[in-house]
Amino acid sequence: MISYLKKADLPDLLQAWADKMDVLAPILEEGQISFTTWKGQPLDLSANALVSPAKIISPREEILFRYIQESGTYRFLRPDQKPRLIFGMRPCDLRALQVLDRIYGAPPPDQAYLDRRRSAVLAVLNCTNPGPGCFCAALGAGPDADEGYDLLFTDLGNGYLVESGSPAGIVLIKNSPDLLPAVSDLADSLLTDKGRVVGLCRDQVISSFPGMSVERIREGMESAEWERLGQICSYCAGCSFVCPVCHCFTIYDRGVPDGQRIRCADSCMTSGFSRLTSGSNPRPSQGDRLRNWYLDKFEYILARTGLAGCVGCGRCSQVCLSPDICLRSFLESLCSREMTTNKFADAGESKGEGKSIRK
Amino acid sequence: MDGREMRDYIPYQVEIVDIDRVTSDSYLISLQILDREVFRYRPGQFIMVSVFGLGECPISIASTPTRNTLQICIRRAGKITSGIMDSMIGDVLGVRGPCGNGFPLDFMKKDILIAGGGSGFATLRSLINFIADRREQFGNVAVAYGARTRQDLYFMQEYKGWQMAGIQVAVTVDVGDQGWTGNVGMVTSLLDRLEIPPGSAAICGPPVMINSVAARLMEKGFQLPDIFVSLERHMKCGVGKCEHCMIGPHHVCMEGPVFSYDRVRQYL
Amino acid sequence: MQTIPTTCIYCGCGCGLMLHVEEGRVVAASPQINHPLSQGHLCLKGWLAYQFLDHPDRLRRPMIRKGERLVPSSWDQALDLARDELSTLLRESGPASLGVLTSAKASNEENFLLMKLARAGLKTNNVDHVARLCHAPTLAALSSALGSGSMTNPIVSLRKSDMILVAGSNTTEQHPLVAFHILQARKTGAEIVVVDPRRTAMARLADLHLAPLPGTDAAWINGLLRAILDLGLEDRQFIEARTEGFEEARAALDPYTPQMVEQVTNIPADDLVLAASKLGSANRAAFVYAMGITQHYWGTDNVQALANLALATGNVGRDGTGIYPLRGHQNVQGACDMGALPDYYSGYQPVSSSRSRFERAWKTDLPAEIGLTAVEMMDAAQAGRIKGMIISGENPMLSFPDQTQVRAALEELDFLLVVDIFPTETARLANVVLPAASFAEKEGTFTSTERRVQLARGAVSPPGEAWPEWRIWADLLTRFEVDCLYESAAQIMEEIASLTPSYGGISHSRLGTGGLVWPCPNHDHPGTPILHVDSFPIGRARFRPVEYKAPSEKPDEEYPFLLTTGRSLFQFHTGTMTRRVPLLEREVPEPFLDISPPDARQLGLKDGTYISVESRRGRLIARARVTPDVNPGHLFLPIHFLEGPANLLTSRYRDPISGMPALKEAAVRLRRL
Repeated sequence: MISYLKKADLPDLLQAWADKMDVLAPILEEGQISFTTWKGQPLDLSANALVSPAKIISPREEILFRYIQESGTYRFLRPDQKPRLIFGMRPCDLRALQVLDRIYGAPPPDQAYLDRRRSAVLAVLNCTNPGPGCFCAALGAGPDADEGYDLLFTDLGNGYLVESGSPAGIVLIKNSPDLLPAVSDLADSLLTDKGRVVGLCRDQVISSFPGMSVERIREGMESAEWERLGQICSYCAGCSFVCPVCHCFTIYDRGVPDGQRIRCADSCMTSGFSRLTSGSNPRPSQGDRLRNWYLDKFEYILARTGLAGCVGCGRCSQVCLSPDICLRSFLESLCSREMTTNKFADAGESKGEGKSIRK
Repeated sequence: MDGREMRDYIPYQVEIVDIDRVTSDSYLISLQILDREVFRYRPGQFIMVSVFGLGECPISIASTPTRNTLQICIRRAGKITSGIMDSMIGDVLGVRGPCGNGFPLDFMKKDILIAGGGSGFATLRSLINFIADRREQFGNVAVAYGARTRQDLYFMQEYKGWQMAGIQVAVTVDVGDQGWTGNVGMVTSLLDRLEIPPGSAAICGPPVMINSVAARLMEKGFQLPDIFVSLERHMKCGVGKCEHCMIGPHHVCMEGPVFSYDRVRQYL
Repeated sequence: MQTIPTTCIYCGCGCGLMLHVEEGRVVAASPQINHPLSQGHLCLKGWLAYQFLDHPDRLRRPMIRKGERLVPSSWDQALDLARDELSTLLRESGPASLGVLTSAKASNEENFLLMKLARAGLKTNNVDHVARLCHAPTLAALSSALGSGSMTNPIVSLRKSDMILVAGSNTTEQHPLVAFHILQARKTGAEIVVVDPRRTAMARLADLHLAPLPGTDAAWINGLLRAILDLGLEDRQFIEARTEGFEEARAALDPYTPQMVEQVTNIPADDLVLAASKLGSANRAAFVYAMGITQHYWGTDNVQALANLALATGNVGRDGTGIYPLRGHQNVQGACDMGALPDYYSGYQPVSSSRSRFERAWKTDLPAEIGLTAVEMMDAAQAGRIKGMIISGENPMLSFPDQTQVRAALEELDFLLVVDIFPTETARLANVVLPAASFAEKEGTFTSTERRVQLARGAVSPPGEAWPEWRIWADLLTRFEVDCLYESAAQIMEEIASLTPSYGGISHSRLGTGGLVWPCPNHDHPGTPILHVDSFPIGRARFRPVEYKAPSEKPDEEYPFLLTTGRSLFQFHTGTMTRRVPLLEREVPEPFLDISPPDARQLGLKDGTYISVESRRGRLIARARVTPDVNPGHLFLPIHFLEGPANLLTSRYRDPISGMPALKEAAVRLRRL
């Protein structure tokens, strides 16, 4: 279903949704865009948020269940998830959720994730203003979304093209006929406008790292000096905390005899992540851990889910405390290597083409 | 293993019904499952054991499904294992599982060599007792086991029974003392003392030991795919989500903990 | 979901944090992109700064001692008891029998009120805080040399430096965001010289690493200055226009030839001269230092020597230059600023000269006699002269030198009131324990190491019945009949501003992203990131000759190793917070002792061996970590662990000027277990 929303009507639409559920939208907080419960505040859709809205579904910390001791044995309570609508999620973050769906959904499925996932309606906004470190197009993760959303918004200047991608999305459009009228006769021209807007953005993203692709990255990884990079790493683990795909977690208990079992984001960039109680560590150096992070993103998750474990959002590079080792500078080094060694570049280029253009 | 507890992480409850001292710092703990009728498992599988308030960790099943009681062998290593050891008979713990694949008995040859080092012997005890109970289904079976000192040897009182069941047992320690008349040295040093025709092998222990035993077995004519190793990794979820146990692209908790040696050799 | 901007609780960097709240729980922390210092970055502790908030160990109810046990009580009951006990002591033994330790973790408003309670309520100047154990020498030396005891420039100023000298600071681990800016400066051409007995990560990444013997700092700093003068690289113009006392200081440098320095410090003479030429030829040089310089018997002299160096090379008062004492707590600067010191009111207004101003404002008599320092209070308590104490958010049982003596001192007290967020080792000895709100549960300001006054905002409610600390002190002030009515932290800041010239223009409503940098004398003032641009508060800066004196304790046959103590990246201070954060505790779960490979070989130690470490004062067990990052003869032990409390071993020799204990000078011996 295709509809059109006048920009001036967006607050009314959000309000209509907010009457029924928690609406989370990008809002300026201390000069910084953050997905926050919308209560009429002005939105800021000019850039993506540093903390991905995917973290609402796969949070840094959540209660798995409460345990309550009663005469020696235990009773368990799982938290309820209330209905949410996430407005303004970008395609890269949607792609992250698609990767997580496949990981958490693989048997045995992870109930806590599925509960959050199913309680959330995704109103995705096609990207028209990528950041300087974005390379979603190289990974087929953006700048536009082609599936997985409930509603898809595209900024066409004065208003938004609104497309439904699921039964829930159709219901949302039908429930607000005044704000979201059907546009059957205009659909073709609106879709043409969308193609133009998205195409411009795609060109912009591709131009930052021309010819980049998963294959290029994997080739580059083979010659990366992991040990040297590991020595520069500041050990902040920020990359793994902001990555929308990173989902490593640990589980810990809080409270005796009653309490909560909590799952919280872990980081494979810490030495304790893989260390055994005996003290031996399968990934003893920071270089090993850095390499593993790249391998997981560009090989293991790809093999597991069919999708790369990186969506090209650039957040890891934005927070990296040792910017020389961040993914962005790794990509930059690959691009500059192309200039110096043509042979390497040719191989990368020809392979890269097929992957970087998705449709 | 796709039970409810693996989806929502809420464990079954088990009562501690017996505690036996195995060595100075390890106990064999017998568990009675309270809220589940049947608990089916295979030798080589593990369970996620909870002490509520301290957390959850993976523990090998030390008992055999051919006998009634579910047993685990715990050595004081971290916070949670200490919590389990400090529990008393009648206390309630949580259990999720069984997790992992266990030893692929259907694919293993009839002649089996079982080699273990240190606390890795708990999971092998499950296999040994299983074989002892179904002795007729197996051929030549030998056990080679090593620990740091005489005091660290697991399940000493059971060796006799295994031998009575026609299983060869050879034991070694790294550091001998006055009371020790047996072998001193690595587990590999036992391999020549046992009669082990090339068949299948089940190994559990530190990577160095696994590699040296596997190398010696190949010299003796074992085929690479017939050598099965049980790996120990840091784990939190047991269901392939938390990513702690990854070894290369493999999840030890789901694809393992038992791997054929050729699949994981490059990572050890 | 809400996002609340606030300030990190850990080190003095004062990074900007966003706390993410879901259903009344803080579920994540992330960096503030626009923060002037942290600029969208955080260290591992910062990313996890929320995880201790809802720990079940949090103090939730006031408790009072009944015999051996602490039992829950009402706030009224507990506060009444505190008032009664403290007033009885005040009446019967006089104000000198009372002492107060404020907290470098509490807000400015809370430090100010507790300082006010000590002076106006308990009538004593016995008020101090943990700065005594970190930067008291800085305050003493820089106040007299420059007229201000604080960091001269903002940390981002380092990005403009040509040369950065980092001395006695494990910057990448202790002040990761300072290290970030230093390393970014290096990328754009700044040269980095690190002086540290340990091969820290910063030392490995530096252009030049000098490794002096611990406790010989004055010698190499003097040597460096002498070499610069010998090369004729001093800034004559600056010396003549802006300083005094240069000639005396110069005369005292005569003995410090590179050869003599090499003999004393083990720094090769050529390296020293190389460092001198780098430093002397830099247009903008900066001097970054931390506990490696201050925690010594002669800590004040060490800082003065560094100040001499900065003055002689004209590296004060410009962007890219300056002296950067790195502070270890997020509000240790603020606690000093608020006058939690025995000799100063807020804004470093001396008790000797500013008493009448505060008496007028507070409408009560104030004590004239200078109070005792933190460590002196412990002595006085042990001797029975101090009988009652208030300790807020501080854990002297682990953080103070010579733990055995601290325990004896605290046990000797007739009455001890402890306010904290967790039941610390110190709280266990208290008569009354009051539960406080943490940084994420209250409003208030913190002043970072670069004098940046920033707002912390309440993200969630305090656990149980816990109160923001300012409310506790406001209540006690009323119970001591000191005229005060505060309804919010913002109101307290109004009083601070009215009494403190350097905070005169600061109010909560002005503190947006990045806050304001004091001095900020009035409401239109934009703050003063760089000090001493045109003149010093004391007119001309003062050189003072510094003489190298041997450390208080040297290795000998009986105790052949020299032990220094410090922190690890993954734990903080006495671990009350970080040890309750699962990922941090997992990284470094137990005390470790860094030992060099040759020493380990000689003792037959392997990595991971448990070993007994013994000094003349105590003994503990740690796990050896064999690393080439320490030199033979030198050991390093972190201070975070109750099960291996480094301060059982440390010495109580004190810097005669600042009262700083010589925490980094203990001779120890090792025994295999």
